[in-house]
Amino acid sequence: MTDVHPNVGELTYVRTWNAPRELVFACMTTPEHLTHFWGPSGVSTPLDTITIDLRPGGVFETVMVNDADGAEYPTRGVYVEIDPPATLVWTEPDVEGGMTTSITFRDLGDGRCETTTHQTNVPEMFRSPEVEAGMLSSFDRMDAYLATL
Amino acid sequence: MQTIDPQTIDPLSTTFAALADPTRRAILSRLAEGEATVNQLSAPFEISLQAVSRHLKVLERAGLITRRRDAQFRPCRFEAEPLDSAVEWMERHRQVWGERFDKLESHLVDLQRKAPRGEGGEGVQHPTTERPTGSSTHKEPPS
Repeated sequence: MTDVHPNVGELTYVRTWNAPRELVFACMTTPEHLTHFWGPSGVSTPLDTITIDLRPGGVFETVMVNDADGAEYPTRGVYVEIDPPATLVWTEPDVEGGMTTSITFRDLGDGRCETTTHQTNVPEMFRSPEVEAGMLSSFDRMDAYLATL
Repeated sequence: MQTIDPQTIDPLSTTFAALADPTRRAILSRLAEGEATVNQLSAPFEISLQAVSRHLKVLERAGLITRRRDAQFRPCRFEAEPLDSAVEWMERHRQVWGERFDKLESHLVDLQRKAPRGEGGEGVQHPTTERPTGSSTHKEPPS
């Protein structure tokens, strides 16, 4: 929990919102909001399955339910860093060898905001700066490779 | 989905580990252009044939290359499938966040219709318009 590097950068997702960052941050950290959008397409997240203890070390748990067949996908996260309304970081130790998600909320000054979502599941053994640099250029290369397909 | 078959974890880690070396990535880059022998692969590098052979073994274990058994010089061939798995991981997670955030966008529109905000949020009536999204090199580590 202490040596987390949320900036490895396997996945970076930037999005601009037509809403102030206080509201977007509240949406990401309040069960009554999360139940409206947490599951991706075809997946619901019932309100009573969402547990949020908004402090470092506190739990962030949900159960996503597939609308088609009722299959359940529990997620068990632990908050690492909380700095409202700027930063939100949690880890999911059970997922793919340990996944860390960080979201930064940037005020664009005109009532809008921008979020940058990083998601990583690099095993601990690969988390040296040298390897991170190697990873980043690997993914650059993959992007280039994808462009050729 | 955020869950994954545990059996897929190790191959992905092996792929990442094999890729986490500039010489091996350069070798793959060369092989992406076509088959090559160890001698041909060694030419651009100031390292020994043995060192190149060690890198080739790592790539072979990761399934990123194969070597023909029958030919005298055992040429190496690039295999894209493990790379595809790594790319698939990224695409899958990107899709989850994309769909999740599409829903959040609708939710925010609903919220602001009910309780319009004094600044900026006022008059936000246009529904889920496309925003600049997707990958970016913009990095802001939340230290």
